Amino acid sequence: MTKRKSLFIDCSEAAFNCDKAQYNEASFYEKIKIHLHILLCKPCKNYTKKNTKLTKLIAKSNLKTCSEDEKKVWKEEIKNQSTK
Amino acid sequence: MATNQIDPTKWVDKYSDYLFNFTIVRVNDRELAHDLISETFLAGLKSMKNFKGEATERTWLISILKRKIIDYYRKINSKKGRAEVKINYSDDSNEGDWLEEQAPDRFDKTAEDIMENEELGLAILDCMEQLTKKQAEIFRMKTIEGLDTEAICNEFNITPSNLWVIIHRARTTLAQCLEKNWF
Repeated sequence: MTKRKSLFIDCSEAAFNCDKAQYNEASFYEKIKIHLHILLCKPCKNYTKKNTKLTKLIAKSNLKTCSEDEKKVWKEEIKNQSTK
Repeated sequence: MATNQIDPTKWVDKYSDYLFNFTIVRVNDRELAHDLISETFLAGLKSMKNFKGEATERTWLISILKRKIIDYYRKINSKKGRAEVKINYSDDSNEGDWLEEQAPDRFDKTAEDIMENEELGLAILDCMEQLTKKQAEIFRMKTIEGLDTEAICNEFNITPSNLWVIIHRARTTLAQCLEKNWF
């Protein structure tokens, strides 16, 4: 991302706030700052767009992870089997 | 000449999430998916010498897993009557007497949507392999498992701003990768 200074906050801070907003952890004030920033800064606007899309895609894909316990069971099984 | 090496000790860490997501959309039952994957790992161990190294380890494991899933459906199908879908109007578990409530939701996902979502999930996991181990781990905990920033920070012993930088890098890499492979 280009380091173009624009009104109120710079790009790195905007990106940081934007990432936070993806996890619903940005405050109201921070959200306002993002919107002000992307009004003036095209690269950040693109980044925000992509970032939001990524969040949506991940939510849509409904990914699941296996728990550590499950992994442990598998590891044990593999270990037992390969030492036999 | 084998181009791809096989190493069972790393299977669980490297592929379990991928295999798990592959299975869960097909059998829709956590425990069953778990059992199928352990069968897959064991079968993989047994036939390790048949691995020619032409495909990647993951493709090879997936092909075993596919057989296991097919076997599972064959088995439940052979128990006659069990696999039948019984449409019973007065089912106790079905609350609501109105016909409208029992009709399928027209706005529900179509089979195509579900398939697409499944592929999408695997594509995301594919892209996550481009991340470094730490990035992938933190991104997984934050985004997929939805853990608190604080909890992750404590576990990895990093500051919140460290965490956000890692998340930011992971997100940029992922967005780029998905843009190339998905859209």
